[in-house]
Amino acid sequence: MKNKRIYICEDSAEGIFTAIYDAWSSRYGHEYNRIEVSMNNENGINLELFSEYIYVKTDEEKAVKVAKAIKEKISMEAYDMVCHGIWSEKAEKADIVYRFLILGFSMGAKVVNHLANDTVMSLFEMNRNVSNEVHHFLGFLRFKEINNHILLAKINPKNDIVRLIAPHFSDRLSNGNFIIYDEKRKTSIVHKAGFPWIYTIGEHLNLDKAGNFSNAEEEFQSLWKTFFETIGIEARTNHKLQRNNLPLRFRNHMTEFNK
Amino acid sequence: MIIQENLSIQNKLEILTDAAKYDVACTSSGVDRKGTAGPGMGNAVAAGICHSFSADGRCISLLKILFTNECIFDCKYCINRSSNDVVRTSFTPDEIATLTMEFYRRNYIEGLFLSSGVMRSPNYTMELLCESLRLLREVHHFNGYIHCKAVPGADPALIEITGWYADRMSINLELPTADGLKALAPHKTRKNILRPMKQIQLGRNENLHLPFMNQNNKSIYNNIDSVISSSTMDSLNIHSSRGNFIKEDSSNGNLLSGTLSGQHIPYENDIYINSRKPQALLNNISQNLSYASPDSSTLGLVKRPAVDRGFVPAGQSTQMIIGATPESDYQIISVAEALYQNFDLKRVFYSAFIRVNEDNSLPVLPGGPPLLREHRLYQADWLLRFYGFSASELLTEDRPNFNVLLDPKCNWALGHLEVFPVEVNKADYYTLLRIPGIGVKSAGRIIKARRTSRLSFEDLKKMGVVLKRALYFITCNGKMMYPTKIEENYITNQLISLKEKLPLGIGDQITYQQLSLFDDVNFNLDIPKYMERR
Repeated sequence: MKNKRIYICEDSAEGIFTAIYDAWSSRYGHEYNRIEVSMNNENGINLELFSEYIYVKTDEEKAVKVAKAIKEKISMEAYDMVCHGIWSEKAEKADIVYRFLILGFSMGAKVVNHLANDTVMSLFEMNRNVSNEVHHFLGFLRFKEINNHILLAKINPKNDIVRLIAPHFSDRLSNGNFIIYDEKRKTSIVHKAGFPWIYTIGEHLNLDKAGNFSNAEEEFQSLWKTFFETIGIEARTNHKLQRNNLPLRFRNHMTEFNK
Repeated sequence: MIIQENLSIQNKLEILTDAAKYDVACTSSGVDRKGTAGPGMGNAVAAGICHSFSADGRCISLLKILFTNECIFDCKYCINRSSNDVVRTSFTPDEIATLTMEFYRRNYIEGLFLSSGVMRSPNYTMELLCESLRLLREVHHFNGYIHCKAVPGADPALIEITGWYADRMSINLELPTADGLKALAPHKTRKNILRPMKQIQLGRNENLHLPFMNQNNKSIYNNIDSVISSSTMDSLNIHSSRGNFIKEDSSNGNLLSGTLSGQHIPYENDIYINSRKPQALLNNISQNLSYASPDSSTLGLVKRPAVDRGFVPAGQSTQMIIGATPESDYQIISVAEALYQNFDLKRVFYSAFIRVNEDNSLPVLPGGPPLLREHRLYQADWLLRFYGFSASELLTEDRPNFNVLLDPKCNWALGHLEVFPVEVNKADYYTLLRIPGIGVKSAGRIIKARRTSRLSFEDLKKMGVVLKRALYFITCNGKMMYPTKIEENYITNQLISLKEKLPLGIGDQITYQQLSLFDDVNFNLDIPKYMERR
């Protein structure tokens, strides 16, 4: 019996596509390959016996080849689905994308509708989950004004969604300067008035300085809290419904829930 | 009236939010608009975005405030009635604009919902609302969502200019019948409420169909008055003692109400009416489309603003208070039906009466606001808008109220066992929709799927049909799921024993984690796919 080969790659589209490229071109047999994204938690991964671990070095050239192949041999829709899936929080996402592509390269464009298949269904569910969270953050994200009229929002999403909410806020506040910071991944969207948004990785931003809110900020926070606390109808108080619609995990960064 | 001078903006906001909170609608839906490249900010998303949820579980999407609570009207149900001893204050248009802009850029809100008490006169108030909107749109270049109330009795020119600035407008019907209005809102008349509603409807049609026409012709206003005083008034001018306001026309089938064969029938795009109206009625409607002809312009009383966002592009809505006056559910949904058919309303909202004033003409409700009744009305509202039901099918004069224990569709099916069981492999779309346990989505899937193969009960289950409800009403390939009595009492008991999914906090069963039809606090039907709740 052949040993299993487990490809460990970086948690990004480039990383996962490189791993898929390597696994595919090894001709070792898809059923013996598995792709996992490396977790940056301290525990590391649970190593399996009788498995060969291969640490994949992200290679942009390979990644571009895979991306091109998906767009040309399957469809643009499948490519979108794969990319959104890669931004999902699901731990097995890299392998699901790998299995989806194996199926996709043999079935072609119609693979996206093949929901009876477990792999396709998983990827579909991951997409739904990501889209749901994107929609939630369009509403639940809160900006605070720091110096120089810059708006700063900190979020803590389950999925990696900053790049998916960026177009909405750039359209809405096209003349504004704002930063959306993902605390968990330490990534951010930076938008300067009149320019396209950019995505940055790592803590280039000195967010300690952001503790200094503008003079007007406190006043508007307090006005908003007043509005929020007054708008509810006492005779209809229904905290269960409130929690169902606005789960607690979103509330940390929401002005109206900060005491 | 005590008018407090020199209040801080904080105090004003508290007073004028508190005074606005009983208004139901807070949806920001109905219009898609990209941001602008120029100065200013804002865009709009058709599905609407909820920004927060208040302690009552309702969505907060818009900054919902009154311009003023200095009201000269004395509506008995209203906290701001002129005879109440409450602190009175007003915003200035500048304060409204600043609050909206600053809240919007911090992503607290989708936009503004501006309502108001009537200060000095309807025109005086409407001018102030208009000025607030003008500041936002023309000075601050705000491109987000605005919902604005029209004050009953305001000049049509003011209504029109507001319509060019606002995305949605609403005029509250307040009470389902003219008698109710007379009893509780002595300063409001049905006519003053329906007139701006008609004006907005016609203006919207004109704006949608003939976008380049801009004439100065006021002849339509005579027309509007005649419309209101003739057929539509009749249909809405319901006396609580007289139940036959919807005349059944047996030759046309019972889906057609008398209101539809009236003189002035506006352009009609309701899905179920289109699919079911006979030719005679269609002709009648097309003749009456002459509104849109160039010699009868509704618009053109004022100059359009430089940035044309359309005339009330997200349509209009209204709201009725439920349980303050003795109208039956039958009367209420008949009024809603007439509003959808004759005024093209996007939504009718129902608001369970909350007793905020001591007044012996108001009912005492020891059990709190009638939330379950409100919920049943929303369910019936869906049946009117999306399921092809008419009000007179759901309820009758003899049975004028909904069953507390059963949703309106089950209730209807139990009263019409003679049409069941229905063969799922043959029945048309609208027949499928009438089966308990089958909804818009599953009916659509059935139609699609049976093109390729005959469906079994197993298939139906996969398509989302709730078989434990549907099984009494359907056959698959000529067979029922299992032998069962088709008898009203038996099925009623069976259906009641299945627990209905009620919104959280309503009724005794509050363990369910799913919202079904409670979209009044939430989104419209045009929610994107990924937002569909399973």
